[in-house]
Amino acid sequence: MRQPKIIVVGGGLAGLMATIRIAEAGVSVDLFSIVPVKRSHSVCAQGGINAAKNQKGEGDTTWKHFDDTIYGGDFLANQPLVRRMCEAAPGIIDLLDRMGVMFNRTPEGLLDYRRFGGTMYHRTAFAGATTGQQLLYALDEQVRRHESEDRVKKYEGQTFLSAVIDGGGVCRGICAMDLRSMEVKTYPADAVIFCTGGIGAIFGRSTNSVVCTGSAQSALFQQGVDYANGEFIQVHPTAIPGEDKLRLMSESARGEGGRVWVPKNPADTRPARSIPEAERFYFLEDWYPKYGNLVPRDIATRAIHRIVYQERLGIAGQAAVYLDVTHISREVLDRKLEGILEIYEKFLGVDPREEPMKVFPAMHYTMGGMWVNSEDQATNVPGIFAAGECEYQYHGANRLGANSLVSCIFGGGLAGPAAVKYARSLEKGAESTSTGVYENERKRQEEKNQALISPDGTENPMTIWRELGDVMTEHVTVTRINKDLQTADVKIRELLERYGRINLSDRTKWSNQTLNFARELGNMLVLARVVTLGALERNESRGAHYKPDFPERDDANWLKTTRAKWRNGEIRFGYEPVDISQIPPRARRYDAAK
Amino acid sequence: MPDAKEVIVRVKRQVSPKGTPYWEEFALPWRPAMNVIICLRDIAENPVTREGQRTTPISYDSNCLEEVCGSCAMLINGKARMACSALVDKLDQPIRLEPFSKFPVVRDLAVDRQFMFESLKRVKSWIPIDGTYDLGEGPRMAPETQEKAYPLSRCISCGSCLEVCPQVNDNNKFIGAAIISQVRLFNMHPTGAMHAKERIAALMEPGGIQDCANAQNCVKACPKDIPLTESIAEMNRQAWKQALVGWLVG
Amino acid sequence: MSRTATRSETDYLLRKLHSFTGVIPVGAFLAEHFWSNSYALVSRAQYDAKSQELQTIPFRVAVEWLFIFLPMLYHGGYGIYIWLRGKSNISAYPWVGNWLYTTQRYTGLIAFAYIGWHLYTERWLTHGKSTYTDVEDLLQNPYALAFMFIGVLASSFHLGVGIWNFLCKWGLAATVKAQRAAGALGATVGFAFSVIGVLIVLSFWLNWHPFDFYLK
Repeated sequence: MRQPKIIVVGGGLAGLMATIRIAEAGVSVDLFSIVPVKRSHSVCAQGGINAAKNQKGEGDTTWKHFDDTIYGGDFLANQPLVRRMCEAAPGIIDLLDRMGVMFNRTPEGLLDYRRFGGTMYHRTAFAGATTGQQLLYALDEQVRRHESEDRVKKYEGQTFLSAVIDGGGVCRGICAMDLRSMEVKTYPADAVIFCTGGIGAIFGRSTNSVVCTGSAQSALFQQGVDYANGEFIQVHPTAIPGEDKLRLMSESARGEGGRVWVPKNPADTRPARSIPEAERFYFLEDWYPKYGNLVPRDIATRAIHRIVYQERLGIAGQAAVYLDVTHISREVLDRKLEGILEIYEKFLGVDPREEPMKVFPAMHYTMGGMWVNSEDQATNVPGIFAAGECEYQYHGANRLGANSLVSCIFGGGLAGPAAVKYARSLEKGAESTSTGVYENERKRQEEKNQALISPDGTENPMTIWRELGDVMTEHVTVTRINKDLQTADVKIRELLERYGRINLSDRTKWSNQTLNFARELGNMLVLARVVTLGALERNESRGAHYKPDFPERDDANWLKTTRAKWRNGEIRFGYEPVDISQIPPRARRYDAAK
Repeated sequence: MPDAKEVIVRVKRQVSPKGTPYWEEFALPWRPAMNVIICLRDIAENPVTREGQRTTPISYDSNCLEEVCGSCAMLINGKARMACSALVDKLDQPIRLEPFSKFPVVRDLAVDRQFMFESLKRVKSWIPIDGTYDLGEGPRMAPETQEKAYPLSRCISCGSCLEVCPQVNDNNKFIGAAIISQVRLFNMHPTGAMHAKERIAALMEPGGIQDCANAQNCVKACPKDIPLTESIAEMNRQAWKQALVGWLVG
Repeated sequence: MSRTATRSETDYLLRKLHSFTGVIPVGAFLAEHFWSNSYALVSRAQYDAKSQELQTIPFRVAVEWLFIFLPMLYHGGYGIYIWLRGKSNISAYPWVGNWLYTTQRYTGLIAFAYIGWHLYTERWLTHGKSTYTDVEDLLQNPYALAFMFIGVLASSFHLGVGIWNFLCKWGLAATVKAQRAAGALGATVGFAFSVIGVLIVLSFWLNWHPFDFYLK
């Protein structure tokens, strides 16, 4: 039998899980990553991973996890696969436990669970406050083991440029660039799984890592892979403002009892700790008595925006509110939250065990992503699969905290065997694809590099990026107004036009990070339009997508998946029904029992 | 500080692995809460030296910018640091940026730390599970064990411990504290312990744990406060027991 | 698991042997040597008697080579090999442990050179029959006296740090707390040896016997 060859692009949780599954199936796999996979963005996930193991005797079930996820996502997710994910979650925890993840333990030696936003149950397993890091390392170690046994070949320091698609519209491999030699090469494969993560960089500053540009998704979109629900962008309520990055302050801070408040008098200049209880406004607890500080992220984010921009109650008139853990004992904080509190301390020089933290919402996650089918993570282009944050499947209009890690591992675990099955079913694999197909793609990408590197431009890519980030953050995050969205699109189109006149300050041929960034930037601009125009089209409020002019969810017109397509260089939107076969939609409210 | 409104940064540059190093100096507008990454981004947006010469942006590795990915380690004022958490206001100026000296330079401040990942392979730094199919829960573990192991599992492979170690140099390919500490982590896990011997054997190969000379710089330089010297001591004990007593008592 | 030393473990075992010989027998011998020499603090005759006793033990040559000369040669020789493979960096990282690391190398080298000279003058030239007078005469030379002080201090320091290193490197002091205690122990040993060593040299140089009241 023909030995299939599979490529995985992206070495975060989803990519590593897919890789392991393929290697386990005895199929050889090439793993491409921009950074050494151990440095992938998954390390930034802090709080935990959800699974209804019901280990606290609360009567939690996988159905309740499923219901919370669908409800939290405002009924936009296709339900059957979400249900499968929630049912698989306890097994995923067991697997990670067996891989040696140092989850926190109960006195009995079992895994400990904490509460997270959008649920009433202790459902979140955690390893200190660096769960994502621990999970990524566990999978990284397994991949390293397969690598040492020659089942996996890593291509770290390679950036994906494009898929190689033959005349029949079937993916036959990828074209990638070595970030040191800048050499552009094609790599044949029978199936390719993309696990290329988030798109934070199109918002300039976000909680995402530097590599989360969405460049791969956008390149694929421009090659015919549809992009779904792009307008659903999660803004995390609590991040530490910074000029280079908005550093996440995990929801686990609230899960462990952290409280959000502002002084009742915004002119109050006393140190936070000397403001008496009676003069503090715990607005989340006040407005949402049932969930309190643990309302889902979109709710908390909008509440903070309302406090700052409408009620004008931001701390000392600034865009910030307090996230307070000072009432929790130092011992508990050090045991359960040390990792995240340490970040605050390190980057601001203030000890959050002593002083309430100042936080503000920040772009955090894209619920939208590459369109995949509801069985096995396949996109609409044969041979291309997607898993993890880069696809749209699991979180509907809003993701619940600690659900991303489980969706990455579940999706990756599904995509791996699916790609193997697909590759084995092919009558003719990549080996019988003509070399001309590869050579043409390589040339096309080389030409793009040449065009960027030619010295006749005037525009600095860093400047274009900054302007893109500013306009996206201002108009396409928490509150969306159609007029502003149109303004944003005009601006992005202007940036696209300026991008055509780019001038690289580095034209060398070795480890040219400027060239790589410029390539990513071109893709970011296109994806930014997908997000912006998708938001413009959707005249309702649902989950993270909030339009004050259309404040209600509109199931009659908008209980639909947005499906953006690239047709002749233009973005076109189509809509398809959501599979609501399991839980009928109901109003989503967190100020009362659901 | 030369001017309260300026940040002066000196960067040791090198165009390629074989290139000759040279220095360039930049003057950047000061803003509150600047870190070294922000300085490097400023330079990328306007790559002009202090003397007014146009130059290229500086190559460097970075990713998470919150000290969990381990990418942006470099020498900052001569010390091994993570660039993202190096706050300008806490640094003496001019700020000197150099690539790590114990790893091959790729370009400018970017270095190749593949040695560490190869070492992780050498010591079999993983739990050899039978497969990813459902085999039930993992072994129970005392909270105390978890609390000891968790700090070790936070190693970000930044290479700072190797950079500051006098035993790591061109004459000596010492495996370094980070890897030794990982072996301790895996030998601590109930399943990992079943394969402790082969990891220990790998640690006793040339360049292994014996090359530690107890300068204890590693533990001081570690950005994640991992108790590296404890790990080394613990692994030393496991190693000599296996090497010297193992053949006696099995 | 049955085990035989594989080739790849040779390096490990040699290094461990270096560490071990530093304490036993070299360190132990240093302790014995300081002890027997401290008889000089009682009287010339007591010293000579002690010296005579040691010079007349059974199997003397074998004992000397097996328990003193060879281990010392190995510890010193391999120590130089180790030294050449390290690269001190105290200017960049002036931390206590790093200072100790560097000084341990220099004191080791000094001690090795000193012991060579010491053996030459006291063992070789005297044909193994050194007396109080021989030492006293030697120390009239100011260079010899200075070298004696330096050698005694370097050896004591090297032993003190060596004990700390030994306890850490064999995992006997594994926790931070235990390592701190090991450091204190090493410092105490180093200090005690320095004091006793200096007193002994002073005794020979000044013909000074603070414990001679025993004999009165």
